[in-house]
Amino acid sequence: MKRKVMINLIGILLAFILGAVVMLIQRKDPLLAYASLFEYSLGKKFVYTLNKSVPLVLTGLSATVAFASGPVNLGQPGQLLIGALFATIGGLYLKLPAVLMIPVLLLLAMIGGALWSGIAALCKHFFRMSEFITTLMLNMIADFFTLWAISYPLFEKDANHPQTPPISPTGWMPEWGNLSSSVLVMVLVFAIIGWVMNRTTAGYEWRISGQNSLFSRLGGVNVNKNYLVVMLLTGALAGLAGGLVLMAGPHRFIKDMGANYAWDGVMIAMVANSGVFLTLIFGLFFAVLQTGATGMQLTALVPRELIQVLQAVIVLIVVAGRGYFETLFARLEARRKMKGLAK
Amino acid sequence: MGDIITMTQIVKIFPPSLVALDQVSVNFREGEIHAIVGENGAGKSTLMKILYGMQPADSGEILIKGKPARFSDPGEAISSGIGMVHQEILLIPEYTIWQNVVLGIEPIKFPNHLDVKKAREFVRAKINEFHFNLDPDAKVADISVAARQKVEILKLLFRNVSVLIMDEPTSVLTPQEIPQLFTELKRLRDNGHTILFISHHLDEVLELSDRITVLRKGKWVGTLDAAKATKAGLAQMMVGREVIFESLRQPQEPGETVFEIEHLGYTDADKRMRLQEINLKVQAGEIVGIAGVEGNGQLELVNAIMGLVEPQTGCIRSSGVDITRLPILDKRRKVAFVSQDRANMGACIPAKITENVIMTHHRLGKRFTRAAGSVLDYRQAVAFTGEVRQMFDVQMTSGEAPFKSLSGGNQQKVILGRELMLEAPFILLDQPTRGLDVGSIEYVHRQIIAMRMNRRGMLLISADLEELFRLSDRLLVMHRGRIVANLRTEATNITEIGYLMLEGKAYEA
Repeated sequence: MKRKVMINLIGILLAFILGAVVMLIQRKDPLLAYASLFEYSLGKKFVYTLNKSVPLVLTGLSATVAFASGPVNLGQPGQLLIGALFATIGGLYLKLPAVLMIPVLLLLAMIGGALWSGIAALCKHFFRMSEFITTLMLNMIADFFTLWAISYPLFEKDANHPQTPPISPTGWMPEWGNLSSSVLVMVLVFAIIGWVMNRTTAGYEWRISGQNSLFSRLGGVNVNKNYLVVMLLTGALAGLAGGLVLMAGPHRFIKDMGANYAWDGVMIAMVANSGVFLTLIFGLFFAVLQTGATGMQLTALVPRELIQVLQAVIVLIVVAGRGYFETLFARLEARRKMKGLAK
Repeated sequence: MGDIITMTQIVKIFPPSLVALDQVSVNFREGEIHAIVGENGAGKSTLMKILYGMQPADSGEILIKGKPARFSDPGEAISSGIGMVHQEILLIPEYTIWQNVVLGIEPIKFPNHLDVKKAREFVRAKINEFHFNLDPDAKVADISVAARQKVEILKLLFRNVSVLIMDEPTSVLTPQEIPQLFTELKRLRDNGHTILFISHHLDEVLELSDRITVLRKGKWVGTLDAAKATKAGLAQMMVGREVIFESLRQPQEPGETVFEIEHLGYTDADKRMRLQEINLKVQAGEIVGIAGVEGNGQLELVNAIMGLVEPQTGCIRSSGVDITRLPILDKRRKVAFVSQDRANMGACIPAKITENVIMTHHRLGKRFTRAAGSVLDYRQAVAFTGEVRQMFDVQMTSGEAPFKSLSGGNQQKVILGRELMLEAPFILLDQPTRGLDVGSIEYVHRQIIAMRMNRRGMLLISADLEELFRLSDRLLVMHRGRIVANLRTEATNITEIGYLMLEGKAYEA
């Protein structure tokens, strides 16, 4: 356990050192840059960091649950967009009080995401197509389908940019100061997912199937049913992320609203190595980096794109280092034993 | 006879802390057959791999003909005259025997051609020299496993190897093929070759070798002359205590039929008929053994019973219920299953021990779940792991440790515990002692006998005839997807079963 924490910390530290080298080459001050990064994201803009972490953590959880259980669902970007589109349609045409409107729209977003991952699950069931491929392809379709939807049928009259009219204000996520209530939803979902994965029969079966499907099947686990449930659940999580982005943010579907959240979520799941708690931690950490990027740009004049480099380097070093450090520690222990024998 | 190889104080540690060899010293004399025996994990193969340059030793010294040597790869070992034949045979099936033998050191004809005539003549001469009875033009794909093994030996002899290391050479052979191998190995010895022979079959060791070295848990226990060794004495040296070899069964009247297969037939996706007209019956308190050379339908039979493949014809009944096409979970109410493949079918290696112990129980027993089966009661799971640990004498630190941290024998105890605790009336045992050491085998056998006393019916598939004879009430022989014999264990013998396994029919004088 201690070792795992150390491997993650070493990875992050190395990534920061590499980032500093890049900045030095460009004749920027890395200490100032990092100081302003953390000052901004953990200081006066901490609330924005929390808001930003919502889609990162939710898509991260989606990928984590999928990877831990077996299905390689890489369709979070598409599922997020379809989820947001479903919430948009609900928000445009339903007339409900906020107490009902918000849950209904969130549910719609989840249904949209689940529908999109469900298509991939059906392709697997009937045609044995790998979800690894179909979810990626469905991302493209979702991209252009939503673009079409906001450019034609849902297009806001006279707008000079593909976007829909704003959804009904009863569907806006309430804010306390600047803190969005979507953070509350995120914490709740995190708790539920952690409980499902670690305490329920289904979560137990998913995790074991993810590591050894044949063993679970022989043990009486209905592997096919679990596959479908996991695909739908992870699609719903990504869809929920999309709904919250819409309802907490621009309150209308605008082009490129999904940004890079879902791909960042996949990266977060990869560094978190199927751990639900680590997904939350890395989701928050990536949000710190992304929010702090603005501060870094303002104060140290370091372009915010550097943060994307930093993120990628963290993923590479932590994931690659995991295997390397394990063998390193094992070798050290063997050497210690060797000395013990010599005595 | 002088020492050809001396290994002194060899230490090998597998990271992080597995001491595979702990200061092992042993010498091999020129022109002897030297057997290295020990349980699984005793370090036999590791010692030989170090000698052969496949693995580096952490410390220690190797002298070959008095000169220090340390090979960093097998190629160096071969050029110094040491060759190894592995358990799995590494030949190119599409090539003929002579092509396989000369591969890598082909005789070349001007300007740069393979000299086919010369190569074939060389190989033929070697075959005749050692009386190997092989056709150099036969394709490797078409010859028996025993013949392939000979080709492997031939390959090494062709490279002028004088020390041959054989890693469990008999494990791939049928009982009928073993004497021939032994004759050939003895002939090689009489020609001045030195043979190092890894085995855990004590009968073979006593028959073949001149000297025997016993390893136990990575330590050297002793080296003795075969003429002075006894089976019981060796077994005791290997395990550190006395092991009993006689049949374990007490006479017992079998009860009602608990498991039955009728007219079962299965043809695979490539349209090959894997199972034909399988009929068998297992009664309560009875162990029915299935003998057969591997690959004669045993795997398909197991898969059909467990529901991994769907047979085209016939039916499988357990306690009178047709389970042929039931979902696996429903089958598991009636069938406990110990697989030969611990890593893929028997357990989830990276998961916790507790998570492995409750598999299947978590669906069939109400004890482990609350809220109508949806929430796991982990406290009960931990308690259950403790019970299995006690009842089956599992050596482990905690149920939270990963399953892979257990030794092979303890892994099998956990699996056995899980399956036997299911209390299904029928138990399918597919090579339940495969890859286990003598002590663990003994333990597993006792548990199986205890289940027989407990009136369970068992089907035991095994490649180990000794095991089958020791445990089974009846023996079936499988050959090319059929059951060709059904004999009472008392009314048959190893030679007869061996013949049936090979020929598929009874011996006719």
